[in-house]
Amino acid sequence: MKKQLIELRVNGESYELAVEPQRTLLEVLREDLGLTGAKEACSTGECGACTVLIDGKPILSCLTLAIEAQGKGITTIEGLSKAGELHPLQKAFIQYGAIQCGYCTSGMILNAKSILDETPTPSRDEILKGLEGNLCRCTGYNKILEAVMAASIGKD
Amino acid sequence: MEELFFVGKSVPRKDGLEKATGRALYTVDMVLPGMLWGKILRSPYPHARILNIDTSRAERLPGVKAVITGKDTLGIKHGFVETPRYPPDQYPLAMDRVRYIGEEVAAVAATDEYVAEEALSLIQVDYEELPAVFDPEEAMKPEAPEIHPNHPKVKEPYKNIGGKTESGWGNIEKGFAESFLIREDRFDGQLRTHCYMEPQATLASFDFSGKLNVWTSSQGPFIKRSKLATTLGLPFSSVRVLKAYVGGAYGGKIDLFSHEFCASLLSIKAQRPVKIVCTREEVFEAARHGQPIFVQLKTGVKKDGTIVAQQVKVVNNSGAYKGSGVVVIFLCWGFVMLCYRIPNLKYEGYSVYTNNPVRAPQRGHGAPNLRFAVESQMDMIAEELGIDPVEIRLKNARQKGDILPNQDPVRNCGLVDCIERIAKNTQFREKYERSKSVSKAKIRKGIGMGVSSYFSGSLIYPNASAAIVKLNDDGTVSLLTGALDIGQGAETVLSQIVAEELGVSMDDIRVVAADTETTPVDIGSWISGGAYVSGNAVKLAASDVRRQLFEVAAQELEASPEDLVVKNREISVKDSPGRSISFAQAVAASIAKRRGNPIIGQGHYRTMKDVPAHPSLATTKGRWSDNYAFDAQVAEVEVDMETGQVKLIRATTAHDCGFPINPLIVEGQIDGQVSMAQGHALWEEVLMEKGETLTTSFLDYKIPCAKDMVESQYIDVITESYEKDIPYRTKEVGEGYVSGMVAAIANAVYNATGIRVKTLPILPEKILMGLRKKGDS
Repeated sequence: MKKQLIELRVNGESYELAVEPQRTLLEVLREDLGLTGAKEACSTGECGACTVLIDGKPILSCLTLAIEAQGKGITTIEGLSKAGELHPLQKAFIQYGAIQCGYCTSGMILNAKSILDETPTPSRDEILKGLEGNLCRCTGYNKILEAVMAASIGKD
Repeated sequence: MEELFFVGKSVPRKDGLEKATGRALYTVDMVLPGMLWGKILRSPYPHARILNIDTSRAERLPGVKAVITGKDTLGIKHGFVETPRYPPDQYPLAMDRVRYIGEEVAAVAATDEYVAEEALSLIQVDYEELPAVFDPEEAMKPEAPEIHPNHPKVKEPYKNIGGKTESGWGNIEKGFAESFLIREDRFDGQLRTHCYMEPQATLASFDFSGKLNVWTSSQGPFIKRSKLATTLGLPFSSVRVLKAYVGGAYGGKIDLFSHEFCASLLSIKAQRPVKIVCTREEVFEAARHGQPIFVQLKTGVKKDGTIVAQQVKVVNNSGAYKGSGVVVIFLCWGFVMLCYRIPNLKYEGYSVYTNNPVRAPQRGHGAPNLRFAVESQMDMIAEELGIDPVEIRLKNARQKGDILPNQDPVRNCGLVDCIERIAKNTQFREKYERSKSVSKAKIRKGIGMGVSSYFSGSLIYPNASAAIVKLNDDGTVSLLTGALDIGQGAETVLSQIVAEELGVSMDDIRVVAADTETTPVDIGSWISGGAYVSGNAVKLAASDVRRQLFEVAAQELEASPEDLVVKNREISVKDSPGRSISFAQAVAASIAKRRGNPIIGQGHYRTMKDVPAHPSLATTKGRWSDNYAFDAQVAEVEVDMETGQVKLIRATTAHDCGFPINPLIVEGQIDGQVSMAQGHALWEEVLMEKGETLTTSFLDYKIPCAKDMVESQYIDVITESYEKDIPYRTKEVGEGYVSGMVAAIANAVYNATGIRVKTLPILPEKILMGLRKKGDS
């Protein structure tokens, strides 16, 4: 298919890219921009490993075409820490043992960020409901919950 | 006991920063210049003869750089087990016959994934379909089709027997004759799968010096190297398997997989790097799942619940090749005899070939199904005898000082403590009795207990671990270990040991890991021996460095080595302020005055020292493991009596893991296993019909999600300790805690409803059916 010229704004940087319209945002982020923090685990929108933020909202980048993200502000895990300082969620995930194999971590942290942006001090059930689309096979979610709770009340 | 600063502490993961920032590179992330994409053509038939494969049209497709079929291989078979009794039985690419839907028939490498996909559609394979069999009991019948007509099998009156384990002691007939009560039940496990989030993936690059470099999502590089080199006909030294981060494994990425062989052979043929990433659908359809087994269990007890005799038959549906099927039937014997004292036992296990995909270990490797059977029946017996579940377990529990039937000594055993403490902590008896009383409530509560035990490393290639610890000029430390961190925290735990031995901080340690070329051999992250075997190798290497450092420092400080202490990268004389030397100064002094010695320590460790080999898979004779972990687990459930829905509310684990090197990591391992047990007990199942997989996505095969999270509590029963300069004995924590919990859930469901489900998973309809039957009668 004929390539289209698009502009993607990722983590505050602007990229002009020629992409085939059938390519997903996940493919373009990983293959063209080298941002491999977003992961593919199912490619059908069931696991949440590919979650990135578009204008602050979590989306499944494996189900989003790159051309749909034209002109929008995209945040990937690589853009979460500012000036070398980790985001409170990143710190809490490390400190509370919320990371094991780490494959779901990027999507999990970004989704958790969107929950906290919306509801700064969410309840236990609000966090678990908010994260139900991000599968993790290692942790049983217990330490993830602890980490998000800790980050929400500014404890790190 | 001396104070410990790192071991026994909840130190954060060493790889946490890389993973939290998205910088950790997994195999799926790796890219090399000129890299091609590989794809695999799979059999659409469960059993067929391959008459002809025509790849000419695929080869002519622009962008295709290499095509391979079985004819391009050396026809060397491989297997999870490769012994004279159980010779390897699987070709890395099918030769003249396919035995399951999804078996690898051909592979292509092309400039991108789309071209590779199209090339597959241009390969013409002519098959002649053969009769197939899918159920193990059907496959054992004399009229069943022969799945491996020319491969040596175990001589049995049954057909398609890939392996058999037979063991026993005492006099089983006499035992049953003397029993007050005998129960006989059958318990069926289901086919489950690992659901590692990173799919199977491999990047292979054959370079011009004749070396094959391989990055692959695995559980240890050394076993991969050995099987790749053997099947490719290359010397071990020509294959280098390197570290990449691993996105979960749980037993599903241990021995050789066809995509690893295909990426390698395609790279050799195309003279370019080749990457193969399996789709999730391929993983569900063709990668290896867990071992589905059923257990026939006959138990005789005295009036007080003491076990007198037990007869166990285990049958495993191993799929089209042995996989780990011949191991799981051995292990199930072990999981029978570890927890309880059984004076008379007869055990037989069969691994049966069928036309299904191959099976692998999955966290607990047989223990979850076996303990589900034993622990369910234990509760049934207790009820018949009118004694409580805690009492019957205490009566039979394994104790410290016992000698196991295979002559392994049980050096330390906290099982009785685990049972007693968990019963008290969860108010087990009160809750159990309360739930038994008749209630008309819509939501009924139940509590159940399960106990289990797991070994901590055994002798299977590569059998041992070694490690190198070296000092850098600036006084920091580098650890070279072959251990692969698959999420369980190997690099963190091993670094804690180095930090403890050398008095350096975690940040002062750089880890170089899991590279067959530059790091010493390692037992692998799949035999539950990492913390014990690799940990002791690292401990020896670090204490070797400390000894050398002290020699240098003693000379420089004019003190005796016994008077030296080490802290914060500095060695000082005890009670003598000001007399100290930094690690950096010590390294410089050593290089200047000791013929350039930069201070490098090495250590190696093997479980069971000089025992020649692993125990016999056929007879169970011979030593199995140095250390056994024990646990008791309690599940508290709520059952909706109208819908049959079971909710696991709380899970408590009392465990004797020796001692935790990192409590935070141990808790994480327990939580993950509780979650896996929840899925195993209540809903996970790979559904198959005539060899075809019906559940091919996370929608069809549901694993626990955040909303299913279970409150998880821990009780540590400490039986071992860590001391400087002597090897320590810790026990495994990575896979033993699925089993007790699966059983505990089943027992809790019975406690809540009075319905005993003997076939996993415990789906709502099984409970409702049970309730209806009970109502009818």
